[in-house]
Amino acid sequence: MRLSGTGTAADNPSRGTPADDPMHRPRAVDGRAPDVMRRGEWVPMRQFRDEEEVDFVIVGTGAGGGTLACRLAEHGFTVAALDAGPYWRPLEDFASDEMHQSKLYWTDERIVDGENPLQMGSNNSGKSVGGSTVHYAMVALRFRPEWFKSRTLLGYGADWPLDWREMWSYYDQVEDDLKISGPVTYPWGPKRPRYRYRAHELNAAAKVLARGAEAMGIDWTPTPLATVSAPRGDSPPCVYRGFCTVGCSTNAKQSVLVTYLPRALAAGAEIRDLAMVGRIETKDGRATGVHYFRDGRWRFQRARNVVVAGYAIETPRLLLMSANREFPDGLANSSGLVGKNLIVQGNQAVWGDFEEEIRSYKGPPSLAVTEHWNYEDRGKDFHGGYCYMSQGPLPTLWGSTQAGAHGLWGEALVSEMQRYNHVAGLKIVSEYLAQERNRVTLSDETDQYGLPIPRITYSWCDNDKALNRHGLDFMGQALAAAGGRNIWEQGDDTNHLYGTARMGHDSKTSVVNGDCRSWDIPNLWVCDGSVFPTTGGVNPSLTIQAIALRTADRIRAMARGGDRRDA
Amino acid sequence: MPMPSSRAPHLRERHRSSADAAGGVVPPTLRRASPLCLELPGHPVATLALAAAGAGLLTWLAAGRSKRAGPASQGGRQALPDRGRSYGSRGAEVTASAAQRLNHASSMLAASVLFDSGLEHYRGQFFNRAMYTPIVVSSITLASSLHGAGDTDPGSSRVRHAAQALAGLTGLVGFGFHAWNVGKREGGYSFQNLFYAAPIGAPMALTLAGILGVVAERVRDADPDAPELAGLPAGKVLALATAGMLLGTTAEAGLLHFRGAFQNPAMLLPVTLPPLGAAALALAATRAPGASQTEAKAAMWAVSAMGIIGVAFHAYGVARMMGGWGNWRQNLIDGPPLPAPPSFSGVALGGLAALELLERHRSRF
Ligand SMILES: Cc1cc2nc3c(=O)[nH]c(=O)nc-3n(C[C@H](O)[C@H](O)[C@H](O)COP(=O)(O)OP(=O)(O)OC[C@H]3O[C@@H](n4cnc5c(N)ncnc54)[C@H](O)[C@@H]3O)c2cc1C
Ligand code: SF4
Repeated sequence: MRLSGTGTAADNPSRGTPADDPMHRPRAVDGRAPDVMRRGEWVPMRQFRDEEEVDFVIVGTGAGGGTLACRLAEHGFTVAALDAGPYWRPLEDFASDEMHQSKLYWTDERIVDGENPLQMGSNNSGKSVGGSTVHYAMVALRFRPEWFKSRTLLGYGADWPLDWREMWSYYDQVEDDLKISGPVTYPWGPKRPRYRYRAHELNAAAKVLARGAEAMGIDWTPTPLATVSAPRGDSPPCVYRGFCTVGCSTNAKQSVLVTYLPRALAAGAEIRDLAMVGRIETKDGRATGVHYFRDGRWRFQRARNVVVAGYAIETPRLLLMSANREFPDGLANSSGLVGKNLIVQGNQAVWGDFEEEIRSYKGPPSLAVTEHWNYEDRGKDFHGGYCYMSQGPLPTLWGSTQAGAHGLWGEALVSEMQRYNHVAGLKIVSEYLAQERNRVTLSDETDQYGLPIPRITYSWCDNDKALNRHGLDFMGQALAAAGGRNIWEQGDDTNHLYGTARMGHDSKTSVVNGDCRSWDIPNLWVCDGSVFPTTGGVNPSLTIQAIALRTADRIRAMARGGDRRDA
Repeated sequence: MPMPSSRAPHLRERHRSSADAAGGVVPPTLRRASPLCLELPGHPVATLALAAAGAGLLTWLAAGRSKRAGPASQGGRQALPDRGRSYGSRGAEVTASAAQRLNHASSMLAASVLFDSGLEHYRGQFFNRAMYTPIVVSSITLASSLHGAGDTDPGSSRVRHAAQALAGLTGLVGFGFHAWNVGKREGGYSFQNLFYAAPIGAPMALTLAGILGVVAERVRDADPDAPELAGLPAGKVLALATAGMLLGTTAEAGLLHFRGAFQNPAMLLPVTLPPLGAAALALAATRAPGASQTEAKAAMWAVSAMGIIGVAFHAYGVARMMGGWGNWRQNLIDGPPLPAPPSFSGVALGGLAALELLERHRSRF
């Protein structure tokens, strides 16, 4: 037996395996997968032959796919989870270097258009075993209960086919699985169980948010985060270096890569890295498996069920690419809604200078948050809600923000960069509305796999613009009240992707039902951010993971009910 | 003589640890704390250590002098073993032994405070000059207590008495400082600030050391046949007082272990065992004087042992920080504090002294 935290759990790689290049050579082969918590070590992995019909093949191992793979395997199903990205060993592969770490992002070619074309890549999509959670900012907020019935209760958006109380019990499970570090009491919403770990210490940027909120007379709280504030197994507590959004090299971050996936392996799931799925095969109205590219050739994995969990661009892309004679408009697309209703969230910011040193990049980027405008409906001239958080941009990101969004160059840019240590900002995560014109379609061009490149069309509606204005005004006042000077607005940023395979109550207005099962093909499922019909004003992962846990339980329940062939 | 090349790896090491420093400014002192640094004698921390050691030494010498200078205050009677009938020699033996035991207790607490405040205030970069105070005062207390611990003579020392009183007072002032530091932060007296601002209960350990040290002198002075404190039976008063101190120390450990989410089940020990010990002490105080206190004594020994074993657990906690002991310069500061748990042992030794007085005979363990 080895004691947690002893031995090889350390930063600063010194040992490497020659010719081990995770971006070009799969690591999860020969019956073993990397032990992500220990340098140079492996864990055993069950493997399936392509001809073997597994119960579930899952496309994507991120917040949705990875969590689902774990629970399905723990429920006793055979699972093969495929991801186009590499199988990282965070202790060895992650450098404290923003440019180098762009290797975590999905940077395959994509075409963007519309009135407000989206910026794709670092801010919204990952390509790694563990998905975007490998480089996410770990903010773990629950939905406001009313949002699950926002059409009925709040008068906009859509009602979810899920009950908030049931969802809250799954939130609780995710928070336990990830040992979320959060405040002792949470200021908003119904009472929730205590976070498993205590909140992290605030950095100066978070204190700016706190001061601003107190001056504006609204509540604030230390942010519930998926990085541990005390040791957990081989995860050391966070060391507050703030490299979270380019990958955490200590494993303090409770990404899917270091939480659900090791559990999935232990429960007998197979994880295939560098395995790009290009097409889902169907026969007689049912999915039969997936074509995937690995080790330089196309292969076919047979499966009783296929789950697509590639996030809100790649999921509809795969469903559309899989069009065949049986389903000429793409799979699960009888409603015509696959790829439509792409929703993002506002991510505008206000920035200002402070007399004192702030060094906002120390620690996880968003250590304090206010959900005031998620729970307060009065005084709004728009539908929806938002929260805002403190920020900690790393230097390269900050430089490009200054050169891009702020439009500085030359002398002005240099002098602004010299104030880097004195800058603090507030950044919104806001709720935009679903619009059918915002969508993912296939272009005529092809990518490195010979697959059609997705085209991503996006425009704000008037409601979105009104929300932006409200948020920027309020945050600007709060920042000034906290002592900020030379305040400027970053008005164009967005993040998070949703809606392109929305769930709903019937097959005409949605792609999947409340169990994430497609209306059209009974053994085809979608389990990721794409199923959200509305977004609420909080970050998505916790909800994606709660839905994945629920889906796994529903599948087991259906299988027990004798529906085994379908589930 | 280290050559530039032989120092290079250390430079890199240093860089790493300072880049990892939590929450802000790279401590300038950290960079100079390398064992290879030749300017070490001039280092502020070294100066501080020298000052603290010097103050301790002076206290030691003065305590000895004041003893020799004649009978202590309040007409304290010097023990004249095997002679005279005005006071029972057995009683004198008990008070002297209890006093020594109390000095052991306050030594333990003072040492815990010395190293803990040293570490934590170093971590806080002695941001405020007042942060030097507990280090100097706890050194004085430690010296005074050690001096008393070696003093088998049942007479008090004025210097020791004064030094202990100073410690008691300093702890209270420190408590005030820490409470102010917590309250001024965003969010005020919230859990968040109780976790991460100056630890509110920590300075009280110095007060406890002072109280136990003062009591040691008072017990030396008391009538050996019916020792009293503030007009009440000394054994009872001390038993109840140490029970209260155990509960206070439990509260402090409980707060900080709650911050650590009781992630290791062993973290529950210091919030369960000491309250049981406190209950045993309170129960002991209700028994007839002279009754045997075996269970309560066992409880006190258990709590003392826990305080020492706690250091080992904290050392394991340091190993579980990023980089473990290999990164000790960072992790000794940010990990669970090694010197903290023995404060339980200190209070428990005080409890043993109380039990000795209650039993009215010297315990030999
Ligand atoms: C910088 C950043 C910060 C973020 N911060 C937060 C935050 O603080 N809190 C929060 O809740 N959320 C945050 N998010 C969002 C969050 O990470 C995502 O919403 C979430 O991970 C989405 O989960 P998913 O399962 O839908 O997709 P992902 O986690 O992105 O997983 C999709 C996976 O599928 C794989 N894949 C896609 N297509 C294929 C294919 N055809 N074949 C094989 N594999 C495929 C991809 O490689 C990827 O690994 C952040 C995101 C980013 C980029
Ligand atoms: S700040 Fe904490 S969570 Fe972020 S990368 Fe560093 S150790 Fe990981």
